[in-house]
Amino acid sequence: MKNFEFASPQTEAEAVGLLQDHGGRTAVLAGGTDLVGLLQADLVAPERVVDVRQIQSMSGVRREADGLWVGALTTLDDVLASPLLKPYLSLVQVADAHHAIQIQSSGTLGGDLCHLPNCWYYRNGYGLLAMKDGESLVETGDNRYHAILGNSGPAKFVNASRFAPALIAWGAKVRIIGPAPEQVEVVPLEYFYISPKSANQGNTILKPGQLISHIWLPAIEPTHVSATYEVLQMEGLDWPLATASVTLDVEGGIVRAARVVLGHVAPTPWVSQEAASLLRNQMVTEDLANAVGAAAVSKATPLSNNEYKVQIAKTAVKRAVLKAVGQLEGGL
Amino acid sequence: MSTTEANPGKKYTVIGTRPIRHDGVDKVTGRAKYGGDIRLTGMLFGVMLRSPHAHANIKSIDYSAALALPGVHAVVTVDDFPDAENKIAELGEGAINLQHLRHNVLAGPKALYRGHAVAAVAADTVNIAEDACKLIKVEYEVLKPVLTAPEAMKPDAPLLHNNVYTNSLGEETKQLSNVAKHFRFEKGDLEAGFKAAKVIVEREFNTATVHQGYIEPHNGTAMWNSDGKVTVWCSTQGSFTARQQVAELCHIPVGNVKVIPMEIGGGFGGKVSVYLEPVAAILSKKTGRPVKIIMNRADCFEGTGPTPGSYIRVKMGADANGKITAAEAYMAYEAGGYPGSPIGAGAMCVFACYDVPNGKVDGFDVCVNKPHTNAYRAPGATNAAMATETVIDEICEQLKMCSMEFRLKNAAVEGTRRIDGPVYPRIGMIESVEAIKNSDHWKTPLTGKNRGRGIATGFWFNCGLKSAVTATVNFDGSVGLVEGSTDIGGSRTGIAMQFAETLGIPVDQVMPSVGDTDSVGYTDVTGGSRVTFATGWAAYEAGLDIARQMCQRAATLWEVPADQVKYENGGVSGPGGKQISFKDLVVQTCKHGEPIVGRGSADPQCPGGAFATHCVDVEVDPDTGKVTVLRYTASQDVGTAIHPAYVEGQIQGGAVQGIGWGLNEEYFYDQSGVMRNSTFLDYRMPTCLDLPMIEAIIVEVPNPGHPYGVRGVGEVPIVPPPAALANAIYNAVGVRMTQLPMSPPRVLHEILAKK
Repeated sequence: MKNFEFASPQTEAEAVGLLQDHGGRTAVLAGGTDLVGLLQADLVAPERVVDVRQIQSMSGVRREADGLWVGALTTLDDVLASPLLKPYLSLVQVADAHHAIQIQSSGTLGGDLCHLPNCWYYRNGYGLLAMKDGESLVETGDNRYHAILGNSGPAKFVNASRFAPALIAWGAKVRIIGPAPEQVEVVPLEYFYISPKSANQGNTILKPGQLISHIWLPAIEPTHVSATYEVLQMEGLDWPLATASVTLDVEGGIVRAARVVLGHVAPTPWVSQEAASLLRNQMVTEDLANAVGAAAVSKATPLSNNEYKVQIAKTAVKRAVLKAVGQLEGGL
Repeated sequence: MSTTEANPGKKYTVIGTRPIRHDGVDKVTGRAKYGGDIRLTGMLFGVMLRSPHAHANIKSIDYSAALALPGVHAVVTVDDFPDAENKIAELGEGAINLQHLRHNVLAGPKALYRGHAVAAVAADTVNIAEDACKLIKVEYEVLKPVLTAPEAMKPDAPLLHNNVYTNSLGEETKQLSNVAKHFRFEKGDLEAGFKAAKVIVEREFNTATVHQGYIEPHNGTAMWNSDGKVTVWCSTQGSFTARQQVAELCHIPVGNVKVIPMEIGGGFGGKVSVYLEPVAAILSKKTGRPVKIIMNRADCFEGTGPTPGSYIRVKMGADANGKITAAEAYMAYEAGGYPGSPIGAGAMCVFACYDVPNGKVDGFDVCVNKPHTNAYRAPGATNAAMATETVIDEICEQLKMCSMEFRLKNAAVEGTRRIDGPVYPRIGMIESVEAIKNSDHWKTPLTGKNRGRGIATGFWFNCGLKSAVTATVNFDGSVGLVEGSTDIGGSRTGIAMQFAETLGIPVDQVMPSVGDTDSVGYTDVTGGSRVTFATGWAAYEAGLDIARQMCQRAATLWEVPADQVKYENGGVSGPGGKQISFKDLVVQTCKHGEPIVGRGSADPQCPGGAFATHCVDVEVDPDTGKVTVLRYTASQDVGTAIHPAYVEGQIQGGAVQGIGWGLNEEYFYDQSGVMRNSTFLDYRMPTCLDLPMIEAIIVEVPNPGHPYGVRGVGEVPIVPPPAALANAIYNAVGVRMTQLPMSPPRVLHEILAKK
């Protein structure tokens, strides 16, 4: 680990100012559950670490007319405890499924959205694209956990955020501040992630000196139902083999609107229009859920070692759909 | 938890009770001292530079730039060790050629696996030492790696060594090869045996490399004093073998090395060989200051001794009545970079549970470009049981016979000759199977979709080896007990209990501690399920020694001849109904005469083998391949359960490690020989959330070769789980798993292939 300056600002403006110095070679510390490991492995070597945990405006959940503003510092435990977030079942299910007291008490929503890929090539210093001598290590190497969708470009890793699929399925936006003082933009989370095309690109639209301050969630209607199904190999601390989150607007048993988002299958959270369109104006049955699952992976292009993930992703979608409408056997 | 005793008549006062362990409070309050807690004045921090390549010639190492970095005090390579002798050092549970050990500690002409240590730096801080490592220029000639035993055995496979010749059936050949050894056990007439069979099943199995996964990483601190004496603080399963290895590698007398064993955060066999201690010693010699080195998790995975991946083929035949007529095994175990896999033990265990009239076992010790394998709880036996026990399940299916009955019918008993030669004394194989047969678990029918039940049996040895203890009687009647077995599983309490039983005193009046190598007699490693057995025996001897001295004192006190007094019931009795308790006698006589010190040593020759039978219920998710363990019961013949709670803990811990091995754990290598999952994120070990409570059934068939009937208990519970799980998975969804681990991708693959 390299030495670095440590700053602990009290306001969003101070944080933005501190992040701009050193040519933007700075890092944001929230829960630290990802950053500390990255620092120890020298994968991130900032000149300054800006600890944003003292910034009060970035904590807590606030209700406004059209929805909720959720502070980026909201921890997983906060998600589980918040009465305002409780109706967003698909989110609560993700927080609950972590089964790791330390991560749940210190990990934050903002940090989860910015979690860098768990790709072992990235984590061993080969960069997001895992290139060595101009060749992709993933394509010829061990790619059992890599992308099965959106993998035709140079990026083969899978997005590591566990909350992004559920948030995107809810139509969430992120409020980004910086790099200039007072600069603010609100962006649909769906457009926050990118699949990098070159080694100097990151996996989000965040520029040096920017950070997520809040997440916006639309107001929930009584007809909205949602669910997340994560396929986890272990019940304890683990990261999913594949995830699916669905948000449905169901009136009289008929799905009026649907969003289906997969996680851990592509370099970005994967919005499946094919799956969503099959659900619209239909009544959810096991057969329909099966078809929705199949549609979600119909364009999958598995790599040499991860064909199995296609089946697992399909199962995740099917079960998330059934779970949302309370039809999942065993109540899983 | 339940206990079945084979001889309920014999009762003890201390043995069989469940006192709180003597080291318990220190450990749960964080006060116990581990190697990482060592802080010495002027201490430097060492970091190892490790090979990024799985197989490479090291052409040159230039560390001048590292040495020039401010804060760096020394850099060492293998050249800083004197040349090692080409001889074998016995380490208790395993042995190693010293030249190989030297080159494993710091790579010699070749780096033989990814993570192989190449150089080491001592600096003021860990950060400086890490930066210095990056400045060391190593010129590698990268070679093609070979990663599995079957690949390494091919005639055109890349060779790891230019001085390893195959020892074939006892003959030293001139054949340069990755196969260091091929041996064979034979019994009866194999061909006739298979001819007599009604059913023959032959299957191939592949098991992955797995790690012991102890929580505490390896650590070593050394101070090479100006008088030539070296003190080492470390986390080790054998302070005396650590001393021997440091002395041999540094070419100094063992008397010049003192090893102070610290508390251990898990070993499971992986902390017998040294990795850091000799390096810390030579860094200290160069700098004149104490040097401490601690591994990180990736170092532990890549640079220590996991247990081998293996290729096994088992063929077994049985007649129409379900009696085994013949059994044959071909077993190739990966030794890693240097010869010395646990193939010998694996080959002895493969059919050890059964009376096999005609058999043949071929064992191969094969070098591959992976870390040099080391002991892991019943080393070699789990791989073997996976093969034998699933083949038996298949035979029983074909014979339409309950596999429990098959196991009872073919069980090894007193007088059965194991395929490698030894004839069993009284053993508890049948009792361990019957305990499962009589369990609530077995009697409760399993219902539900995609659910299945499996059983499997396993065997493991119990070593004797040398142990010593010293007992010092205090003036208040309490006793300080110093023993040489480093304590990885609550053994100091188990030893103190046997000592207390011998003298008939309360165990809380005994204060056991683990001594350093200057303060207690020679004691072999904590391994081979031997400590409660052999060091317990030494404690028994020390108790007898003290009892003799107490008799002398009582005779003097009462002015009667020594032959008229007797030690019994926690004190001494004499003529005319005279009686005095141990404590009263000590208090009355301690002011006069010499201090009372007892000694005990043991090198027992009649260890008892241990048998375990496990029963598991699983549910398999047919859409994801995930296996959920619903219920688990493990029975085991433990001889005598000295401290039943710790015995249950050993059974549960071993079963859990076996479940992890069976379902999830595996080193992922890519073609270049790089381990891809060297973190606990992707090397998946089960936690309490993945498991039901493991029900432990203690079966007590006392070992006739021990004063208290003790058998080793710590290792055999890891043997049956993968096979029991494989049998349960078959019962649930109809797929036969022949590869470990049975992780979701593999199980799913088999389910889809069947469809």
